[in-house]
Amino acid sequence: MHPPTTLEISSQVIPLMATLMLVVQLLLIAQRMLLTNIRLFAIQSLLLSGIAAVVAFNYNASHVYVVAVLTFIGKVVFLPWLLNRLVHRIQIHQDVEPLLNAPSSMLICAALTLLGYSVTRPFTSLEKLGNNTLAIALALLLTGFFLMINRRKALTQVLALLTVENGVMLAAVALTTYGMPLVVELGIFFDVMVAVMVLGILVYRIRENFDSMDTGKLDQLKG
Amino acid sequence: MLLLTPILLVPLSVALLCLLVPSRRVMAALGVLAFATTLGLGIALLHEVLARGVVREWSEFLSADALSAWMVLLISVVSLATSLYAGRYFERDMAAGVITMGRVREFFVLTPLFGTGMFLVVLANNLGVMWAAVEGTALSSVLLVALYNRRNSLEAAWKYVILGSLGLALALLGTVFVYAAACKSHPDSLPSFNWSYLMSVARQLDPLQLKLAFVFVFVGYGTKAGFAPMHTWLPDAHSEAPSPTSAMLSGVSLKIALYALLRFHILTTACLDGGPDAGFSGHLLLGFGLFSMLLAPSFILVQRNLKRMLAYSSLEHMGLICTGIALNSPLTIFGALLHMGYHALTKPVLFFAAGNIHQTFHSLEFRVIGPGVGKVLPVTVVLMGLAALSAVGLPPFGLFFSELTIISGGLAAHQITVSVVILVALLASFCGILQQLTRILLGARKPGDHPTDARRSDGVPAMTLLLGSLLLFSVWLPAPLLELMHQAAAIIGGKP
Repeated sequence: MHPPTTLEISSQVIPLMATLMLVVQLLLIAQRMLLTNIRLFAIQSLLLSGIAAVVAFNYNASHVYVVAVLTFIGKVVFLPWLLNRLVHRIQIHQDVEPLLNAPSSMLICAALTLLGYSVTRPFTSLEKLGNNTLAIALALLLTGFFLMINRRKALTQVLALLTVENGVMLAAVALTTYGMPLVVELGIFFDVMVAVMVLGILVYRIRENFDSMDTGKLDQLKG
Repeated sequence: MLLLTPILLVPLSVALLCLLVPSRRVMAALGVLAFATTLGLGIALLHEVLARGVVREWSEFLSADALSAWMVLLISVVSLATSLYAGRYFERDMAAGVITMGRVREFFVLTPLFGTGMFLVVLANNLGVMWAAVEGTALSSVLLVALYNRRNSLEAAWKYVILGSLGLALALLGTVFVYAAACKSHPDSLPSFNWSYLMSVARQLDPLQLKLAFVFVFVGYGTKAGFAPMHTWLPDAHSEAPSPTSAMLSGVSLKIALYALLRFHILTTACLDGGPDAGFSGHLLLGFGLFSMLLAPSFILVQRNLKRMLAYSSLEHMGLICTGIALNSPLTIFGALLHMGYHALTKPVLFFAAGNIHQTFHSLEFRVIGPGVGKVLPVTVVLMGLAALSAVGLPPFGLFFSELTIISGGLAAHQITVSVVILVALLASFCGILQQLTRILLGARKPGDHPTDARRSDGVPAMTLLLGSLLLFSVWLPAPLLELMHQAAAIIGGKP
C-alpha cells in the first residue's frame, strides 16, 4: 500500500471513529441503565484508543502506540471493571434518574453539538487529521458538561467527567501531529486512574453516610 | 550537587515511610523533618538561583528560576508550620474520639504527598507535567478534606473534586492548545513542551490559538485558585477540612494554582507583545481579580461560620494578588509577590486558632462559640487577634506594606480607578473581619455557660513561629530574599 493512500484512508477513518464517539455519547445521554452506561463509556474509550492506533500507524510513531495501549488497558478494561465492581458493592438502583427526560436532553445536546461546530470553525485550519475532529471533541466536552448537570447520582457524574476527559484527549489527537510527549500522556493516564479511584472512595463513603448517591442531597453548605 | 531532586524526593519518601511507621508521634516528627529539610534546601536553592540564574536538573526536566524558588520557600514554610501543629491537633482529636488511627495515618501520608505535588508544580519545566502535578495536588487534598467522614465534609469534598476536575479538564484542553501552537510553528518535528523552549519561540506562536488556550487555562486553573465566580468550592472545602489542611489549602495551594496560571500569562504576554491584544491575559486577570475582591467582603459580613469567613478572606487576598500582577508595573508585581509571602505566614495562624476553637467548643458557628472566647482560650485568642490585625492589613504587619506597595504602584501607573476599587474592597473586608471577630473573641461569656477546663495553649509553637517570622520579615527583608523577589517580579513582568 502506498503511503498517500494510507493517509487518505485514515483521514476518513479518524473522523468516522470520532463521529461514532459522539453517537455513543448521545446513547449515553438517552440510556437510563447504569451498567449499560458504563459499557457505553467503555465502547467510547475503545474508539478513542482505535483513533490513537490509526494515528500511530500513520506516522509510525511508537509513543502513540503506547498511548493507544494505555487507553485500552485503562479506560476500556480497568475503569469499567472498577466501576462495575463499585455498582455491585454498593447495590444501587439501576435507574440513573436524569432531571430532564430523554427527548429534551437530546434536543439540548443537538444544540450543544451545533455550538461546538460553530465555535471551532475558525480553527479548522489547525487540524492535521480529519476536518471535523476538533468540533466533535468540543461537542463531547459540552455534552459531557450537560451530562454532569443532568444526572444526580454521584457515580453517573464520575462517568460524565470521564467522557469530558475523552473529549479532551480527542482534541489532543485532532490538534497535534503526534499527540503529546510521552511523559505528559503517562502523567494524564496516571492522574485519571487515581482520580477515578479517589472518586470511587468518595462515592462509597457518601453512600454509607447518606444511604443514597443523590448529589441533590448534598446541600447543607451554603453562602 | 542536586538540589531540585531532593526537594521532591524527601517529602515523597516520608509519605511512603509513614505508611509503615506504627506510631503517630513518629509520623508527626517525620513530617516536620521533611519540610524542615525542604526549607533548608529551598534556602540553598535561593542562593543557587541568585548565583546561576536558572537551576536545571535531569536534562531540563526540572528547572527552577527565581519565581519557582520563591514558591518553594512558601510551600516549605506553610507545610512545616502545618506539620508542627498537626501532631498535637490529632492527638486531641483522637482523645476526643472523633477520628480513628487509620484516618490520622491517612493525614500523615497524604500531607507530604500534597507537598510533593506542589513542589513538582513549581519545579516542572514541562507544562503537561505541571498540569499532572496540579491534578495530583487536587486528588491528594480532596481525601484530606473528607478526612472526618462527616456528611458536611463529604459534601465539601465532592464539590471540590467535581468542580476541580472539570476545571482541570479545561486547563488540560488549554494546555493541549498551547502544545498544538508549538507543533504548528514547527511542523516537522515533535517539539519540546518545556516552558523554557516555548518562551524562546513565543513570538512565532499563533496569537489567536494562544489567546484561546489562555481562556481555557484561566477558567481551569482559576477554579483551582478560587477566583470568583468559580470559587464556590472554596469556603466549603476550607471550612470542612481539618484545620491543618485548611491552613495548607489557603496558605499555599491557592497560590500554586495561581503560579500555574502565571506561567501561561507570561507566555501569552510574550507572544502577544507589541500586537493589538498585548494586554489580553492581563485584562482577564484584572477583571476576575477585582471581582473576587469586591465579592468577598459582602460574604465576610454575612458569615455565621468562623472558617468560612476566613476562606472568604483568602478569596479577598487572592483577588488582590491577582490584581497586583495584572496591573503589570514592577512595583505592583513586587507588591503582589510580597503579599503572597506575608499572607502565607498569616493565614495558617488564623486557621490553627480556629482549629483550637473548634476542638474546645465542638463547633465553628458564631452563635455557639461566642462571645467571650478570650475568657476560655486566652493564648489562642491573643495570637489569633494579632494574626487578624495582620490579615486586615494594619501596621506593623507586612500585609500593610504589601497592600500599600500595590496601591501606590497602581497610582503611579495612573490606574486611579483600579486603585480606588482596591482601597474600597480592602476597607470593606477590614470592617467585616474586625466586626465579626470582636463579636466572638471579646466580651463576657453567656450567662449559664459553664467555664470549661480548656484553658490550654495548644499549637503555640507553630503559631508563634509564623507570627514571629511575619514580624521579623515585616521590618527586615534579607538582601538575598529581596533580590530573589525582584528577579521573580522581573520574570512575571516579561523582562528575562
